[in-house]
This record gives sequence, C-alpha cells and structure tokens, in this order.
Amino acid sequence: MSRPYPMSQPPESNHQDLSSSANDSFELDGNIEPDSGTGLPPFELEPPPATSDSSAQQVELYLPERDPEQPEQTPQLELEGMAPPVFAITLDDGHQARFQYAANLLESLEAQQIDVHFQCREGYCGSCRAQLLSGEVHYANDPLAWLNEGEILLCCCIPRSDVKIKL
Amino acid sequence: MAYTTFNRNEFDTFKQPMFFGEHVNVARYDQQKHKIFENLIEKQLSFFWRPEEVDLTNDRKDFLDLPDHEKHIFVSNLKYQTLLDSVQGRSPNVAFLPVVSLPELETWIETWSFSETIHSRSYTHIVRNIVPNPATIFDDITRNEHITRRAVSVTHYYDSFIELSNYYQQLGEGTHTVNGQAVEVNMHELKRRLYLTLVSVNVLEAIRFYVSFACSFAFAERAKMEGNAKIIKLIARDEALHLTGTQHMLQIIARGKDDADFAVIAEECKADVVRIFAEAAQQEKEWADYLFKDGSMIGLNKDILCQYVEYITNQRIAALGFDRIFEARSNPLPWINSWLNSDNVQVAPQESEISSYLVGALDSEVDTNDLGDFDL
Ligand code: FES
Ligand SMILES: [Fe+2]
Ligand SMILES: [Fe+2]
Repeated sequence: MSRPYPMSQPPESNHQDLSSSANDSFELDGNIEPDSGTGLPPFELEPPPATSDSSAQQVELYLPERDPEQPEQTPQLELEGMAPPVFAITLDDGHQARFQYAANLLESLEAQQIDVHFQCREGYCGSCRAQLLSGEVHYANDPLAWLNEGEILLCCCIPRSDVKIKL
Repeated sequence: MAYTTFNRNEFDTFKQPMFFGEHVNVARYDQQKHKIFENLIEKQLSFFWRPEEVDLTNDRKDFLDLPDHEKHIFVSNLKYQTLLDSVQGRSPNVAFLPVVSLPELETWIETWSFSETIHSRSYTHIVRNIVPNPATIFDDITRNEHITRRAVSVTHYYDSFIELSNYYQQLGEGTHTVNGQAVEVNMHELKRRLYLTLVSVNVLEAIRFYVSFACSFAFAERAKMEGNAKIIKLIARDEALHLTGTQHMLQIIARGKDDADFAVIAEECKADVVRIFAEAAQQEKEWADYLFKDGSMIGLNKDILCQYVEYITNQRIAALGFDRIFEARSNPLPWINSWLNSDNVQVAPQESEISSYLVGALDSEVDTNDLGDFDL
C-alpha cells in the first residue's frame, strides 16, 4: 500500500470516514430527544459547518477512525442509569459545539470539525493551549506543559460546566 | 563561588532558587521544590529510542532519485539539524550545571542533554545511509558560511554566559584583572545572561527546530525519505518536551516563584526577549532563502516556510505571555500536526510501521512448549 498523497490533493475516499459515514452517525448525537433518557431538555445547538479549509484534510486523515463524540465508540465510565451530562462549548468567534462523550475537549472539537492546534495530545507540548473565558474544566492527570492564568490544555481536560473558549 | 562536586553545607532545599543558590550535594528526589522537573525526567525516560531501530534502506533510493535542488534542501536542512543538536548535546550541561541549585533540575538538565546526544547519533545514522562518504556532509558544517553563520547565532548567548560564569566560579564577584584586561563579574549580569541564554535555547528548540522539521516532513508528505521522517518524529517528540522544560524555567523565573531578584531581571529583559525572537525569525527566513535558492519543492517553498516561521514564532512567544510579533495567521502547513504527533502511527495509512521504537514493549506471552521438560 502506498501513501503518496500530495498536499494539494484530497485524500482518497476510503480514508475519509470522518466526512461520510461518521458524520451521518454524528447526527444521532446532535439530535438528542427529550425522551432519550437523559432527563435533559432538547439540546438546541447544532454542530457548525466545517471551519477547516481543504488543505487541512491531511490532518483529519490521521485522526482516530472512531468518532469521539459517539457514545458507542468512546470508552467513558458508565454513569449508572444516566447519560453523561451535555455541556455547551462556545468559541469566542461565535462557533458552538457540545461536549458529551469525547475523552477530552480537543477530540470533541475535532469531531465537530473545529480545527485546533495539537502535537502531543497528552499534555506535554502546550500546542493545544487555549483560553478559558468562562466555565470550569477538569484534568484527570496534571498536564506537564506550562499554563498561564486562565489557560487550559484542550487535549487533556473535560468541561465541568458550559465553557467559553478562545482558541 | 568555586564549584564543588559535593557541597558539604547543610541547607533547606525548599529555600534554594533554581540557579545561583547553594551548589547541589545529595542527588535526592524525595523532596522537590519544583516537581515538574521530575515529571519531565520521567516522561523523557519513557521516550527512550535508538536511531538504529529505524530502517533507512528506502531513503537511500529516494535520495538518489531526488533532483539536485531537492538534494540541496534535504542535505542543508540535515546539516542545520546536526549543528543544532551538536550544540544542545553539550551546552545545557556546560552552561547550567555549574550554577544549578536543585537536584531535580540538575537531573532534568542531564536527561535533556542526553536525549540530544541520541538526536546527534541519529544524524550519523541517516547520513551513513544516504551517502557513501559521511565526511562530505559533516565536514561542510564547519566550512559552509551559511551554516557557520547559523552557528554564531545559536551559540552566542550560551558562550557569553559561560564566559562570565567561568570567571565567577574562579574569581567570584568583583572587578578582576585577567591577562591585563579588567573583568567585571556581578550577580545581576550573570543572571541577565543566564535568562537570555534560556530564551535563546527556547528559540532554538521551539522555533529553529520546528522550521527544520517542516522541511523534513515536506519530503515525507510526498512519500520520500520516510525513514528520515520517522526519526524526525521521534526527535520532535523529545523537543516538544524540552521546550516545555525551558518554558517552565523561564516562567518560574519571570513570576518570581523562587528568586525575587531574578524576576526583576526578567522584567528588565522583556525588550531583549522580543528582540531575540524577532531576530531568530529573521535568520530563519534568510535560511529559507538559502534552502530554496535553486528552486522550490512540491508542497513547500520559501514563502510558505517564511509564513510558518512567523506562525510558530507567534505561538512560542505567546506561550511565554508576550504579545505576538507578527500578524496573526493560521498554520500555513496544517499537515505538519499529524507528522509532529508521534502516536498516530497505528492509524496513519503509512507504508511502513514504526513499531520498532517500542523498545520497552516485551512479548509477555510464553508458550509452555518453549519450556520443554524444564521442571519448575
Ligand atoms: S496537544 Fe500537546 S499539550 Fe495538548
Ligand atoms: Fe535535539
Ligand atoms: Fe532539544
């Protein structure tokens, strides 16, 4: 198998899970019914259209093939008798997303086609540093990268409330 | 203050600053003023890899097939990387160890430098695999004026700090006459030079190296020199940790978290910090000019690389809490993220796997037949 994708050329369709099948199933996640057992009111936010330009497709090519915002594919702890809470993510430029099943904010935003800088994806390089404008986040492990006041590392935290973020 | 390899004084390690306090004595890690350095050490150790485990036989063929102007780009970039790691493999030890005051920081510096020596050894591995006579490449690093000009800018701050620090260790503070020349040694100037050295190290590892990574990965984006790219991925993983270590040192100093005088000096140096970042960006752009002097390559040219220089400079200076220097723009090389991330190898549809670097992974499955008649 060869992998000579020139940068200007879109990836072949068999590697484009994120844009076809995975996106279809993402709709499931985007339309939670009030009777789906969450006990939460219907969630109004729609995932925004892709913000990435076509040149970023290479990046998507390497992302995990699962969709991190799909419950079946995300190894989160079972919460007895309830779905994980849903938190709204608002970006300073007005884009909106939602966090429910992903392992961290970075994966959640990527699953909703919002481009975020990253390198290590485990808290030591600082590439995914963002400003937390409001709300609270939680780290399962203390990250290694330096954080200034009000900054968070998207790759290793989850929201604990609705959050507003500046990338 | 004369250096001693085992300080006999008793002192409270929690009262020591990172640098220019008591000399270290017992290498103990049970009490740590800045635990982050211990965490960095553990992470760095978990990254251990050996260049020889990456197979480069395809790179040889790829290299022979490259057009001349691309050979120039590849080889010049490799020479620059070799220069940078030659400096980094020794300089943190020589510059910082004589003045360090915390055992966990001392060990981080040694661990950091050690990983740079792996990088240096990997360049020899690469060069041996692509040309019959490695000397044709290595000898040019001290001869080619474009490279030596780079050497001056990456070593200047190290050398100027080491010079003054040597006088301090031999003669202490004060005005001394050395070989008929007056030499003024004071703590303010020592700390100022140390701070600027840390800034220039951060520029070296967090900007200069990343520009060189972009060139290495641009070849691999076209499925050329993929073995080389695998090695550079491993180097990039280490460098991401190094730049974090240096950001911590700079921020601990700037925030007065362990030495109030040093925080004042960091404040005084703000304009110098911006200047060092801006100069490095300019030098990297001039280097891009030299790399692409005979022509661009598919996917990367001088303009795009210069945009990347501005982008990465902005990112790094912002991480230190400074305003961005250049007009904000998005990453002009979005594909670089996936190359810089070393954990995507399983999911990347690449021809060859990189599993060989999992040195620590053992096959723990034992077939009882293997034991034969061995009686337990
Ligand atoms: S991607 Fe490295 S710290 Fe988040
Ligand atoms: Fe290095
Ligand atoms: Fe380094």
